[in-house]
Amino acid sequence: MPLKNRQRRHWLMAGAACGLAAGLPLPARAQETAAPKTILTISGSVQKRAGADTLDFDLAALARLPQHSFVTRTPWYAQPRKFTGVLLKDLLAAVGGSGHTLRATALNDYRVEIPAEDWLQHGAMLAYLLDDKPMLVREKGPLVIIFPFDDKREVRTAVHYSRAAWQLRSLELR
Amino acid sequence: MNEAAPAEQRPPPRRLWLVLVVATLAVVLLAVAYVQWRQYKLLDNTAQFQNDGLGWSFSQLETEHLRLRNEMQKALDESQPFDAAAVQLRYDIFVSRISLVDHARAQRVMLDEPIYGPALARVRAFVLEADHFLGGQPEQPLSRAVVVRMLPQVDSLSAPLHDLALSASHLLYERATLRNSAVRKHSQLGVALTLFQALLLLVLGVVVLRQLRALTKRRRTLEALAESLSVARLEAESANRAKSAFLANMSHEIRTPFHGMLGMMSLLQEARLTPQQAGFLATAKESAQHLLSILNDILDISQLETGKLQVSPEPVDLLQLINEVGALMRVQAQAKGLAMRVAVAPDVPRWVLADGTRVKQILFNLLSNAVKFSNSGSVELAASLRTTGGLEFAVTDTGIGMDEATRTRLFQRFMRADESTTRRHGGTGLGLEISRDLARVMGGDITVRSMPGAGSTFTVSLPLLATEPAQPASMPAPAPASAAAAAAPQGVPRRLNVLVAEDHPVNRAYLEAVLDKLGHNAVFSEDGDGAVRAMQAQAFDVILMDLHMPGMDGFAAARAIRAMPGAPGRVPIVALTADAFREARDRAREAGMDGFVTKPAHLPQLREVLARYGGAAPAEALALPAPAGTAMGRLDLATIEDVQRTLSAAQYTMLLQRFFDEGMNPTSTQPDAAALRARAHSLKGAALSLGLRSVAELAEQIQRAPSDAPLPQLAQLQAALDREIAATREQCVLGGFLPR
Repeated sequence: MPLKNRQRRHWLMAGAACGLAAGLPLPARAQETAAPKTILTISGSVQKRAGADTLDFDLAALARLPQHSFVTRTPWYAQPRKFTGVLLKDLLAAVGGSGHTLRATALNDYRVEIPAEDWLQHGAMLAYLLDDKPMLVREKGPLVIIFPFDDKREVRTAVHYSRAAWQLRSLELR
Repeated sequence: MNEAAPAEQRPPPRRLWLVLVVATLAVVLLAVAYVQWRQYKLLDNTAQFQNDGLGWSFSQLETEHLRLRNEMQKALDESQPFDAAAVQLRYDIFVSRISLVDHARAQRVMLDEPIYGPALARVRAFVLEADHFLGGQPEQPLSRAVVVRMLPQVDSLSAPLHDLALSASHLLYERATLRNSAVRKHSQLGVALTLFQALLLLVLGVVVLRQLRALTKRRRTLEALAESLSVARLEAESANRAKSAFLANMSHEIRTPFHGMLGMMSLLQEARLTPQQAGFLATAKESAQHLLSILNDILDISQLETGKLQVSPEPVDLLQLINEVGALMRVQAQAKGLAMRVAVAPDVPRWVLADGTRVKQILFNLLSNAVKFSNSGSVELAASLRTTGGLEFAVTDTGIGMDEATRTRLFQRFMRADESTTRRHGGTGLGLEISRDLARVMGGDITVRSMPGAGSTFTVSLPLLATEPAQPASMPAPAPASAAAAAAPQGVPRRLNVLVAEDHPVNRAYLEAVLDKLGHNAVFSEDGDGAVRAMQAQAFDVILMDLHMPGMDGFAAARAIRAMPGAPGRVPIVALTADAFREARDRAREAGMDGFVTKPAHLPQLREVLARYGGAAPAEALALPAPAGTAMGRLDLATIEDVQRTLSAAQYTMLLQRFFDEGMNPTSTQPDAAALRARAHSLKGAALSLGLRSVAELAEQIQRAPSDAPLPQLAQLQAALDREIAATREQCVLGGFLPR
C-alpha cells in the first residue's frame, strides 16, 4: 500500500505540472501543499500524462472546476438538502475523457455503472459540499454522485437512486 | 296537437337511453382514470422514497459491521503493523450506514418490528462509546489495547443487526407483496372497468345504430311519401288539365248549337208575332243569353286554370274607362234606387298600361255584386294611387254585408254570399273567382272588408304603370284589311258573294238566313275541301271559315286558298269559331286569315265584318233614316261586344231598354237650352258606354251648341236627337240587342 500511495502522489505531481502546462484546471497547489489528500481517482479512457494509469484529484483541484449547486429531496434525508460540486460533464471534459459508461466505485466497494446520458442530459453532479460543508466519511462523504431529482422527473427512478453513489472513491471511464 | 305537447316536453325513451349510457360511460372513464392515478402515485412514491432500498440498507449495515469487526481482528494480529487508518475508515463507513436506517421514515416502516427500537438503541450506545476513540476529537489515539477493549462490544452487535436485517427484508417482502396485490387489485379493477366500458360502448353503439336505422327508415318513408305526393300531384294536374280541356271542348260544343239557336231566335223576332209570342221569345232569348254568359264564365275559368288566359296591356284611358263603367252601373244602381258615386283621386294617372277589357270586367263584376246585394244606400267606386305603387280600386256598398265565415268562402267557386239569395240575385257564382284570378294574372289581388249589415268594401289592387297616351287612331282591328277589302269603296251598297265553310247544319241555316237578311249571296260548303273546290269554281268577295271541321279544317283550307294564284288567293277570309282562345286567333292569323269572329256571330257583328272585308251593307239597313252617320255608324259593335262580355247579353238588353225608355220620353216638349243640354249630357255618357255611337256624337254636338242659340235651332237639334234615338233603337232591334 505505501508503495502504491507514493506512486499516486508522484503522478499527481506530474499531472499537476502537465495540467499547468496545458492550462487545465488541475491540482496546481499540489506543489505547495506537503500532503494533498487524494479523494478521487479517475482511470480508463482519459488523457493520461507521463505514462500514468490514473489521474488523482484532491478537494482543491475539484474546487477549481466550474462549481454548481442545487437543492433537492433525496430518499436518504428527511429534508431537502443543498449539494455543491462539479458536473460530471465538466469533470470528464477537463480530463479529456471519452467513453459511454462510467464505473463508479465507493469506499465500501459499492460499484455502479453510469451511462453517458446521465452526465450529458440528466445533469449528474459530483458533490463534495452538503449544505456548504465538506462531507465526512461518516456522513457518506467525501464525494457523492447526485442527480437533480426534484427538477427532472425522468431521474426519479430506483435505477438513478442506485447510481447516486456515496463515499465515491474512483471513476473508471469506458 | 294536445297529444303532441307532453311528448315534446319529455325526451323520447330512446334518447333517454342514449343520455344514460353516455353519462355512465363518462363516470366509468373517470373511475378508470382515478384508479390509474392512484397506481401511478403508489409507484411514484415507492421510487421516490426508495422504500425497496431499505432492506439493502439494513444488510449494508450488517455487512459494514462485519467488515469493521474483521478489520479490528486483523488489527490485533501481532505479525502485522497496526493500521489505525484502516480501522478508522471502516468505523466511519459503518457509522455512515446507521443514518440510513435510523430516521423517521424507517421508523414508520419498521413500526411493527419490536426488534428495531432496541437494536438501534444498542447501536447508538456503541457509537457513543466508540466515538471516545474513533470520533472527531478522540480522547486517546487508537491502539491495540483500545481495539481489544472494543471488540466484545462490536461482537455483541452481531446478533441484533443480523435479526434486524432479516426482519427488515421479510417486512419489505411483505410490503412488496402488499403493494403488488394492491397493483393487481387496481389492475383487476381497471380491467373490470374497461370491460364495463366496452360493454357500455357496445350498448351505445347499438343505441346509436338503432337511432340511425330509425332515421334512415324515416327518411325513406318521407322520400316515399314525397314521391307518392309528387305522383299524386302529377295525376291531379293531368286530371285538371283533362278537365279544363273537357270544359273548353264542351263549351265549344255547346256554343256551336247555341250560335244557331240564338240566331234563329233573332230571326224569329223579325217575323210577325203576336205580342204573347214575342214575349215568350224574348224570355227564351234572355234565358239563352244568360246561359251563354255562364258558358263564357266557364270558359274564362278553364282558361285561367290552364293558364291560357293572357292579359294584353296597352295604353288605356283610365278616366274614360272608369267613367264608362260608372255611367253603365249608374243606370243599374238608379233602377234599384241606389246612389252611385265615382271618385277618382287627383294623382291617379290618366293613361295606364293595362288590359282595359279585363279591368272593366273586374269592376263591372264587383259593382254589379254591390248593386245586387244592396237594397238601399249607395254604391261607390273609388280609384286611388297606392303608397306601395300601383293603383287601387275600392268598391264600397251599403248592402247586407258578410260575416267572417262567408268572407273566407267568398272567392270559392259557385259561392254566393247568401245561399238563400241565389234565386233572387241570380248569377253564375263564378264572377268573384274570375275577378280575383284576373287581378292575380295582372299581378294584383282582391281583398274584402265586410261586416254583416254594415256593407262591404272590395279592394282591387293592380300594379298598373302610368304611360303615354295611345296613338289616336289605334282601334283594335282584328287584322289589317286585305287589298281587296281596302279597294272596295266604303258605304257603297253591294251584293256580296259570300262563301261559307261550316260543318254544322243549324249554323249553316242560321248563316244563310242572316246573310240573306243582309242582302248577300251565300254559297255553302261543309268542309275545307269543299271550300277550296268552290274557290276554284267560282269567284267570291269574302269567305266565312269555320275553323273546326271534319276533314280539312279551317286553317288548312285558308292556307290552301292563300296558295292559289291570282285573285282567289287574295280573297279576305274571316274565321268563325266558338273557340275563344287566343292561340286559335294567332293560328288563324298565321294561316293567312284576315278577321276573326267569335261564335255566336250576331247579325251586327257579321254586318260589320262583311262591311269591312267585303263592302258596305246593302239596301235594308240604308233604308232607315240616317241623318247622322251611316247605318253601321250608329252602333259601336266593339263596345257592345265588350259590354255584353263583361256583363251579359241579357243585362245589356236590360240597360238598352232602360236607356230608350228614358231617352224617348223627354221631360219637356218645349225646347229649352239648359234642359236640352242637361239631357244631352246625361244621354252622352250612357250612350258611349252602351256603344250607341251616333247618339253620343249628336249629344256631344248639342252640348257644344252655344247657349244663346236661337230657339228654332234648338228645336231642330232636339228633333234630330229624338230621330237619332229612334233610329238607333230600330238598329238595336235589328241587331238582336232589343226585343221588338
